[in-house]
Amino acid sequence: MKILLAEDDFASRKFMDKQLSQYGECDVMVDGEEAVDAFMMALDDEEPYDLVCLDVMMPVMDGYQVLKAIRDIETQKGIPKSERVKVIMTTALNDERNVKMAFELGCEAYAGKPIDMEKFEKVLKKLELI
Amino acid sequence: MAEEFNTDSMLSMFLYESNQGLEKLEGIILEKQDADCFDDSDINEIFRIMHTIKGSSAVLMYENIKTASHKLEDVFYYLRESHPENVPHRELVEKVLAVSDFITGELEKIKAGSDPDGDEKELVADLEEFLGELKGEIKKQGIRLPKANKQEEPTQFYITPVAEEDSHFYRIVIHYKSDTQMSNIRAYSATYALKEVAEDLLYTPEDILSNEGSHDNILAEGFHMLLQTKASKEEVLELIDSSEAESIDFNEINSTEYGKALTEFGREAPPIVINLDEDKSAAKDDKQQAPIAPGDYVVKSKETGKGKTLAKNQAKQQAIISVNVEKMDALMDMIGELVIAEATVLQNPDLKVPGLDLTNFQKAAAQLAKNTTELQDVIMSMRMMPLTSVFQKMRRIVFDVSRKLGKDIEFEVIGENTEVDKNIIEHISDPLMHLVRNSVDHGIEDDPEVRMANGKSPKGKITLEAKNEGGKVYISVKDDGKGLNKEKLYNKAMENGLIGDKAMSEFTDKDIFKFITLPGFSTKEVVTEYSGRGVGMDVVVKNIQSIGGRLDIDSVEGQGSEMTLVIPLTLAIISGIVIQVGEAPFVIEMASIKEFISVGEDALIQEPGGEEYLVLRGDCFPFIRLGEKYDLPGAKSKLEDGIVAVVEHEGKQICILIDKILQEQEIVVKPIPSYVKKVKGLSGCTQLGDGSIALILDVGGLMIEEERR
Repeated sequence: MKILLAEDDFASRKFMDKQLSQYGECDVMVDGEEAVDAFMMALDDEEPYDLVCLDVMMPVMDGYQVLKAIRDIETQKGIPKSERVKVIMTTALNDERNVKMAFELGCEAYAGKPIDMEKFEKVLKKLELI
Repeated sequence: MAEEFNTDSMLSMFLYESNQGLEKLEGIILEKQDADCFDDSDINEIFRIMHTIKGSSAVLMYENIKTASHKLEDVFYYLRESHPENVPHRELVEKVLAVSDFITGELEKIKAGSDPDGDEKELVADLEEFLGELKGEIKKQGIRLPKANKQEEPTQFYITPVAEEDSHFYRIVIHYKSDTQMSNIRAYSATYALKEVAEDLLYTPEDILSNEGSHDNILAEGFHMLLQTKASKEEVLELIDSSEAESIDFNEINSTEYGKALTEFGREAPPIVINLDEDKSAAKDDKQQAPIAPGDYVVKSKETGKGKTLAKNQAKQQAIISVNVEKMDALMDMIGELVIAEATVLQNPDLKVPGLDLTNFQKAAAQLAKNTTELQDVIMSMRMMPLTSVFQKMRRIVFDVSRKLGKDIEFEVIGENTEVDKNIIEHISDPLMHLVRNSVDHGIEDDPEVRMANGKSPKGKITLEAKNEGGKVYISVKDDGKGLNKEKLYNKAMENGLIGDKAMSEFTDKDIFKFITLPGFSTKEVVTEYSGRGVGMDVVVKNIQSIGGRLDIDSVEGQGSEMTLVIPLTLAIISGIVIQVGEAPFVIEMASIKEFISVGEDALIQEPGGEEYLVLRGDCFPFIRLGEKYDLPGAKSKLEDGIVAVVEHEGKQICILIDKILQEQEIVVKPIPSYVKKVKGLSGCTQLGDGSIALILDVGGLMIEEERR
């Protein structure tokens, strides 16, 4: 499985990288723009990501913008809904309206920090990633 | 308050919504428990509630709640689509309650921070069986089965964060020795070490790495840090390199102080929205908070030299905050003082100097008066809650207990919207539960035949009533059962050695009924699951007394009993009328005044024993001369000179002779200090605008005394 992780905080990045590497190859980005670039590059190389984990508060572009960009790119390229990349937001911003907005923007899951890895894995199973 | 910041708002919203749904569900069920079937709108509502709970529990991945609610939703789906007849209503009611209980239990677990691990399989199998029967019945009735209720697996999930311990907030100041080299680098390494455990860290001076000048600054004023972390003081101190430090000031502060300190350090304090009206919280939220959009959370790239303030740990916004009742009480007291202060200003004797032009003063005064009144209303409304939820619980208890005991009981609720102080609600729930259980268990006869023989309907009836009268709340539980047997009570009390060896005739009926509230008293020979353990009533009384209330018991053997809780509203501010007798001002509570009237001596009747009565419009009332009663010099003794106040308490009226009426005023009730001897007929005192003290008349107390004479 190919994973893209965008996270600007060093400690969180280290932790998530370690956790996600169990499931597959994990590319790590430090801001939102980089994440979008990496996502496009992977699409161009025809080796798209299976999972994208996005922090919300990041420099240049925030997680919601990245999520929106990813969905827009997919729509533009005519990728069917079933083949869209799975996106999990990973953030401490878990206000109800934040979560709702992210769901409306089209993420698959929203994980509040500190992340419950047990449930995280459950979700990966439900999303048929592992 | 630390936990406020850690509450997961998605989770609390889920809990809040689900609880609301379940409460509504129970309301419907219990209202319709005795009907033959649910009507369409009920079925729709229950279906909708289950659908909502199913949906949100699926998103949050609470599988057992999802499965259970889904099954029940299914049942109601078929009811909704096919409208079958002859649905076993009783059974259905039980099924719904079973599911509702199961979900409530699981929600409680989630609230307590543990995993909802209840096993739903039995429940689901049970529902499955019921559904099978239902489908069979539908087919038998020749109605086509609707398409199966399509279950859409949710495609979006919410992962709740792991439960966190409460954060600590510290304020740390490091003073380095005056000969320390490069204190700024040392300071930075301290912040670096702390970042490992910090949830939030601020420090000043900020530009420690890039500005060498900060070195002198740190030496002179110390290095200040503000830290939010889960680590203990010891762990934090361990991390700070203290080799060159002369001293470290280490203070744990609370989150409020932390919020204040944040502003000192140049950050905006986290916004806290207090929502007064919980019910409307969802709707209000949207209005109060500016809409968010993608792009709102872009972190500004670091400016060189600025310490990174961890923007990700911005305190989350809270729509509802819970406030310590003590703080509310303190606020209440302060508003009370404010009202007194207001009166002191507005009725200041200095204003009475002749020839003053007070036009502008009066305008300003009116404005002030308006604002303080509103302020009082707000604090009152913050504390007042309707009894609805408590009464709802009672419904459920009657339902459960009567089913278990096999008694057929009708339960009537009156005045469930009566509002009382929140504090009181918390205290009366348990006592009320005891009373209701007692009524179902002991009150109503076991055998309907016995009831019929006594000329009563075979169906028992329990009435729960709340009303608000004269600053007190009356909550009564009335049954039409067998009533209390005085002889039995007396003998039992004798047996248990609770009353010494007094004869039965020495006690009034009420005294005898009171026996059941004595510790260690229970007349029921057999202890049942619900009552009769002999620990009930004395606990009830103790609980009620702790909030300044009392329990009245009334009973007629063979016809039923009535237990009434009388609880003060704890309204510390009342509106009253200030009167004068002799030189002394008194206050009568507005609510108890019927009228003021001027009468002549011919209305007076004097009994040989010295008692006096007034005849007003053909009715005769007891008459009290306040001046005589309290020995007030200068009080008017002739009826023509004074004014008669007719006051009412619990349906009885008495007349009081006073000298004159001074004014109407908002009165802040203060207890009479303990060093003053307890005087009958007075309930408190207050300070008037001119600084003098007025005594508050206790109309109820006056009456009791009058009756005794």
